[in-house]
Amino acid sequence: MVNQILFVVLPYLSAAIFLVGVLYRFILWMKAPVPLRIVTTPAPKTRRGVAWRMAGDVLWFPSLIKADMPLWAAGWTFHMLLWMVLLRHLRYFLYPVPGWVEGIQTAGLYAGYLIPIPLAALLIRRLATERNLYISILGDYFSLFLLLGISVSGFLLGVFFRTYIVDVKALALGLVHFNPVQVEVHWLFALHFLLVLVLLIYFPFSKLMHAGGLFLSPTRNQRANFEKRFVNPWDDDYPVSYNPENIFPPEKYSEMLKKPKSEDKS
Amino acid sequence: MRTPLPIPPLKTGASAHQKSYPAKTKDMIKVDLPKERAKDWKEVMLKKMAEVLDRNRSVRLYLESCVKCGACADKCQFFLGTGDPKNMPVARADLLRKVYNRYFTLGGKIWGKVNEAADLDEAMLQDWYTYFYQCSECRRCSVACPFGIDTAEITMAAREIMAAAGIATKYVTEVVAKVYDTGNNLGIWPAAWKDSCEFLEQDLKDTENIDIRFPVDEVGAEILLVPPSADNFVNIDTMIGYAKMFHAAGISWTTSTYCNEGGNFGMFLDYGNLKKVNNRILEAARQLKVKKVYWGE
Repeated sequence: MVNQILFVVLPYLSAAIFLVGVLYRFILWMKAPVPLRIVTTPAPKTRRGVAWRMAGDVLWFPSLIKADMPLWAAGWTFHMLLWMVLLRHLRYFLYPVPGWVEGIQTAGLYAGYLIPIPLAALLIRRLATERNLYISILGDYFSLFLLLGISVSGFLLGVFFRTYIVDVKALALGLVHFNPVQVEVHWLFALHFLLVLVLLIYFPFSKLMHAGGLFLSPTRNQRANFEKRFVNPWDDDYPVSYNPENIFPPEKYSEMLKKPKSEDKS
Repeated sequence: MRTPLPIPPLKTGASAHQKSYPAKTKDMIKVDLPKERAKDWKEVMLKKMAEVLDRNRSVRLYLESCVKCGACADKCQFFLGTGDPKNMPVARADLLRKVYNRYFTLGGKIWGKVNEAADLDEAMLQDWYTYFYQCSECRRCSVACPFGIDTAEITMAAREIMAAAGIATKYVTEVVAKVYDTGNNLGIWPAAWKDSCEFLEQDLKDTENIDIRFPVDEVGAEILLVPPSADNFVNIDTMIGYAKMFHAAGISWTTSTYCNEGGNFGMFLDYGNLKKVNNRILEAARQLKVKKVYWGE
């Protein structure tokens, strides 16, 4: 029964919540128009340039290098290790396993062993500096502890409590092909699996959505093509009108311009 | 060489007492806002907030995707100067974010404590009025942010929401009202502008013995120059510089008494006034039939 819930019901439920939630958040963001050009300069002039800028922001975090070097070191290391770990885990969901996934297996394994280090650094940084302690909320700690839980349990599974990997793969492939199978696994694997599902459910409701938010951020995804007119879609809702208290409306200026210059001086 | 400013220790409430002088009724009427704070200010503000969220992708996106990394925290000059934690850009945005969570997210509605939600009450409003007017919208925080979160967008949204309920500052509303009365932020009347230009012409003749014109309201000129109004008031050397440059280049130009100000204080108030102030430049250009607008601030 517990097995049924944890390895069949919950995975599909959390995957559904993840997909629908992320989609919903994106739709909510995309629905609102961008009324003004607010790109942070220096900015690229072309779409290709914007793509490069985005790629830079995703892969290198250049803003953080300038803003806060220790934060960059911890944050960048964490995100890159996370990529490695995620890609390595593809081997459990794909059959046959593509060559490149095989290729990064060793690197991905070590990335997984190392990932608790930058996470701990981020946590310590949050707690150790007065400013970061002030701005931190429950969600920040929850995300960090969840990721720590996942990575530490993963590390233990890989090094000390080695699970029977063929069963794990059978489980994952069963889920992927909508043909769930029952397997006996170590309780630590069950915990690791459960925490990942919690992460999937939590993701769309949390700050973890920053992963998608970046791509829509107008200060970063707009172009600096200032020679082109930028039209605000709701601009017409604000017609320009002068109330009787405004003593210099456009009509008065027209009158002033019509008057001959000499008369004007008196 | 980069020598970072020393980061001050947090001093809670250090600049809480520094409140902007509230707007005067006469100016509020001139900028088409409620004369005084609405009786049902909370409802008006929440209604406006819903509208602002629907109209600006940036506001909802930036409220939702901040990860509280703290990269912006020590970048704000108002924080560096006061040490008040609510002047850290992330904490400033939190003032709006908490209210947003409380009224516009499911989590905040049902379990506010955990989801960092707060009521829009008198204390919160006082914080809004204090700290959203302690931001100069310089956007330095947006450069530091890994996602480009622009706290100026949040600040402008909060000011627009407050303005809708009749809450604004004297400095901003008075300046915008002056633009509608005189064509510039400083309140220089058309006659005074002309007089000042004539004075400069005479002055150049007397001191440098050259005939350089300072045209005003000349229909059909090629270029409309929209300077900061202070250039014809205190920084007159700049004004003389423009005139000499146009003279040397042999370009026909003019200033306009309808619009002799490039700075737009509407940006500190709301979209309606932002547009109306900007519209004066277009209107002056149309009426003077110029080909180009040179516009500085």
